[in-house]
Order: sequence, then structure tokens, then C-alpha cells
Amino acid sequence: MHELRRPSLGHACMAVLRRDLTLAWRQRGDMLLPVLYALIVTSLFPFALGPEDALLRRIAGGAVLVTVLLAMLLALDAMFRSDIEDGSLEQLMLAPQPLAVMMGMKILAHWLATAVPLIVIAPLLAGMLHLPAPVIPVLLLALLLATPLLSLFGGVLVALTAGTRRSGMLLALMLLPLCVPVVIFAAGALAAAQEGLPWIAPIAWLGAALVMAVVLAPLACAAALRIALDS
Amino acid sequence: MTASPSATPLLEARALSFHRQDEPVFGPLDFRLEAGELTLIEGDNGSGKTTLMRILTGLLRPEEGELLWRGQPLSWDRCSGEVLFLGHQLGLKTELSPRENLAFAIGLYGQHNLARINEALTLVGLTGYEDEAVRKLSAGQKKRVALARLLLIPASLWLLDEPYANLDRTGIELVNRLLEAHIAQGGAALVTSHGAVQFHGGEPQRIRLHA
Repeated sequence: MHELRRPSLGHACMAVLRRDLTLAWRQRGDMLLPVLYALIVTSLFPFALGPEDALLRRIAGGAVLVTVLLAMLLALDAMFRSDIEDGSLEQLMLAPQPLAVMMGMKILAHWLATAVPLIVIAPLLAGMLHLPAPVIPVLLLALLLATPLLSLFGGVLVALTAGTRRSGMLLALMLLPLCVPVVIFAAGALAAAQEGLPWIAPIAWLGAALVMAVVLAPLACAAALRIALDS
Repeated sequence: MTASPSATPLLEARALSFHRQDEPVFGPLDFRLEAGELTLIEGDNGSGKTTLMRILTGLLRPEEGELLWRGQPLSWDRCSGEVLFLGHQLGLKTELSPRENLAFAIGLYGQHNLARINEALTLVGLTGYEDEAVRKLSAGQKKRVALARLLLIPASLWLLDEPYANLDRTGIELVNRLLEAHIAQGGAALVTSHGAVQFHGGEPQRIRLHA
């Protein structure tokens, strides 16, 4: 009856990615907020702790790490909010495309829009706290692995709490235990690098966790959304 | 051009009912929808029209009764791509232009071979607004952007929840014209409405919901 021309999966993925990145760019003021937050928090540390070089150098790695992850939390609960409110998510769910892959693309777009700017300014933040220059590549590597993990965990939890009102509090509570191992491994790598010890093991753990999350989190996210909207 | 007549209807509901916290919303309902048929779902506010629509899309699960899609139990993966849903929430991004919104919908759902975004926007009366952000359009114009999806995306079943809401007289005629063309091509449509619908392609089937 109809002349069908179904888009390929790759085409649909690009459509989701392009739309979400266009939206992020149109609302780039919102994108700036986590960056600003990270800059403010980092610049407050020397005032609160005193401008002692040795002290700052010791806490620099951990402080930047925690600041970046907290800044990411600011934007996390908005990940699918507008899509639920304006019905875009229903359209996505009814599309003849695997929902898990589409959600994976949405999470990727969210990571590109919120985490990448933070990673870009991370060397600046590290410099403000006198992190030794040789440790900065390790910091960037740790952030490159830790931030997508947080986005993926966040995506699942946001999907789980999609049906509930005022889900921000619940989200923060549920995300905390998932953040802890990420912070431990990332901070472990930084501490080792700062003392001149081999730091590859904790980074490898982060990488392994990321590979698992990339595969499993979109599936969990899609399943959770189907449950959340079935009410 | 029309679909071959067959024994199994496109969509069939058997003793379908839905409760919300033990309060009955509607049902039990029985109906059949064949290709080339228009069905109106009528009922007052709160009688469960939108709930029924969401069940028919597969987004909501019915508690009792059966829903069959081409003779098989309905689930979202079986009918996805054949069903086009237009709900109260139009699924438009207000920061994007009508053209960008439609391009995204096509990217997900596919496109009629001959349909073009520009022509569809002209047909729904949005010439000159193609690149305006949707948030600057009126409620009726937003509805028209969503209606343009019906022209672009191939689907055998249209589920239209209150397609006449917010539309002016020409908009209502536009919906009727779209429905007639879709039915004439052998498509099927379910339309909720609490107002009078003027349909020229024969008397539609009616399902009445009671609160």
C-alpha cells in the first residue's frame, strides 16, 4: 500500500544525536552553568584552605575530580525531562528503532554537551590548585572514563524516576552509591600518579566499568522508561 | 492501491478494560478496525479516551482483555513503525523550527517516497514559518506542524488524540481532508473527539466511552 523508505539505524542515531546537540547549542546558556559552577568551586578552595602550595598540591587531583563530577550532577536530572514533558519521548518510543540504541545516543549527546566542556577546562582547574603538570594527562584520562560512567548511571536512574514528581532528591540519593567506586578508582589513579607510582591499574578498572556500562546501561535505561511511562 | 480484504482485522479489541487504582476507567470494550476504516472514539472529559489511545499505542498495558494487531497480541515492537500517534503532547521541540522537527521525525520513522517537508508545510498552511522556532508559533500552528508529520511519515494506522483541538475552521477541514485521503489509500484511523466531526467518506464507526 505505502511506498516505505525506512531509515537505517545509523541514520536514526545521527538524527537523535544531531537534534540533541542542536538543542544543547540553542540553549548554550544552560551548558555554561556547570562550567561556571566548577570554576567558582575551584577558586574557593585556596580561600577556604589557605594558599599553601604543598597543601593545595596534595588535594588538587581529588578536588578537581569531585568538582567536575558534582558539576555534572547539576545537569543530570534534566537529561530526559523536556522530552517527557513535550511528548518527544513517546514519539521516540513508538519509532521503529531499538529504544536502547536511541537512549544510548541521547546519553552520548548529553555527555558531549555537559561533560566535554568540563573536561576542557579541567587543566585550568588543576592549574588553579597547583596540580603538578605531569599528573594532568592522568587527570584528563580519569575524567574521560569517569564522566561517561556517570552519564550512563545517571541515564538509567533518570529513566527510573521519570514518572515521579520532584525526582531530583531521589536521583541524588540513588546516584551516590554508584559514584563512590568511580571516585575511588579515579582518585586512586591520581594519587598514584602524583607519587610517581604506576597508575594504569585503577584506570583499567574504570575502563572495564565503562565498557560494561556502555553495553548494559542503555538497555536498562530503555526498560526503565517503558516501566516509568506505563502508569 | 487498497489493501486486500482479509479475515483478520488490522486491530481488534476483545473485552478491553482498564482500571486505575481499582477505579474503572473504561471498558469492557469490543471493537474491530479494518484497513480503510475510520473509527471515532467519543466520550466526555475524563471518560478515558486518552487512556484508551495510550493503550492502543502499546505505551500502556491494558489490565484485562486482549488487543490483537493483525491477529497477534499487540506489543510496542510488533506494531512500531506502522502506527503513527498524535497525542496531546505534540512531540515537538520548541527550540527547533518546524523544518528541523519534521526532519527529525523522518530520521526516526522514515518517509513517503514522494513526500517533501516543504510541500507538507505548505499543505498544512505554514508557508513562511518553516524556519521560525516552534515556540514562537501559536497553539494552532504547533498543531499544524504535528499534522505535517501525517503527510510525511508512512503508517497504516493513525491514532489521533483530539486532532481538532486548537484548530480554526480551515484547520478542522485540513484534518478531515487528511483523514479522507488516508482512508482512501487503505489506511485506518482512530480519532478521539468530543465535538462533531464532519467526515465525507462514509459514516465512520463510533465507540462511545462513559465516565
